[in-house]
Amino acid sequence: MDPRYDIPRRAAGGGGGGSANSSPALGAQSRRRKMPPRPADFKLQIIIIGSRGVGKTSLMERFTDDTFCEACKSTVGVDFKIKTVELRGKKIRLQICLTVTHRGKGRDYLAGSTVTLHCQERFNSITSAYYRGAKGIVLVYDITKQETFEDLPKWMKMIDKYASEEAELLLVGNKLDCETDRIISRQQGERFASRISGMRFCEASAKDNFNVDEIFLKLVDDILSKVRLNVPEIHFTQCIHCLVHFGSL
Amino acid sequence: MDQESKESTDRSSLVSDDGKNSKSVLCQRCGSKVLCPGTAVLAEKELFLPSMRKKSGLSSTEASVDGDTLSAHWFVDDMYTFENVGFTKDVGRIKYLICADCEIGPIGWHCLDDKKSFYIALDRVNHA
Repeated sequence: MDPRYDIPRRAAGGGGGGSANSSPALGAQSRRRKMPPRPADFKLQIIIIGSRGVGKTSLMERFTDDTFCEACKSTVGVDFKIKTVELRGKKIRLQICLTVTHRGKGRDYLAGSTVTLHCQERFNSITSAYYRGAKGIVLVYDITKQETFEDLPKWMKMIDKYASEEAELLLVGNKLDCETDRIISRQQGERFASRISGMRFCEASAKDNFNVDEIFLKLVDDILSKVRLNVPEIHFTQCIHCLVHFGSL
Repeated sequence: MDQESKESTDRSSLVSDDGKNSKSVLCQRCGSKVLCPGTAVLAEKELFLPSMRKKSGLSSTEASVDGDTLSAHWFVDDMYTFENVGFTKDVGRIKYLICADCEIGPIGWHCLDDKKSFYIALDRVNHA
């Protein structure tokens, strides 16, 4: 029995309404009077792991036609991004890493027994290392694809196996823009999250990209709430793993 | 005023007395902030950056890459200095820098052989 699930965390009540709220941090940033720039107070690493093709582009990559001329485009993709957000009066610099995984037959898992058949050795070693250092984990499913929701317990097994007991968990139902194709109800997502102590829940739409920032802000906020903010200039690097599983192509 | 002296006049308004960017560096298309004022140093280095605009009629099998050799850049030695920036995957030993929000680019250049050098081309960004 995983002791983590028994540890009482912050009330999960706030998780459900997350995606509907406007992002106070981002809004405040734009309304703020001009202030002298200051270096980041914290640096955090976020890693997005997931299958290519179905949903990877939906969370972080919006590969536009203008990005490169046609000749380059096929050879170039986004590797990682540095993004800056303000939370709790602190300036947080995020390194968001996009690691593209293998493409296998049927369902693409990054981790787990199925994956070892498809992926190369190095993906396995990368995976366990990523899990190990994670202070926050975003677990994503596709609201239009039943199997991505049914696979969540398998992802939870990986989290149980490799991740720290203290890791913040956030469940995200993605593709909110495809409401007409929705198969997984919001209540189903909320119910899944409510069964796991401390797991928050929100739905997101990658298309408008607005909720994408929400996801990271929520997670970073949770992590920061645990950190002693009165200690100056902590440069810790903590891996936040975003597990993206979108089932078969 | 000919083009060269016009450019040098424009440029001097972008550089503070200590050689750093006096203005914020922003994405030309979406305005995403790449660098805060005073965080980068003006550097002269000849770098080839592929074109930002999609070229019609250029098939994917076309070997040549259209682009510009640019010499004026904002230089930083630590990628965490950036407010927002994206990095492409490796193209040989080079990673190109792109806008973190709209992914237009390349706006900058980084060579993997020199971990402490990142360049943002002045001509590929706006200043405000």
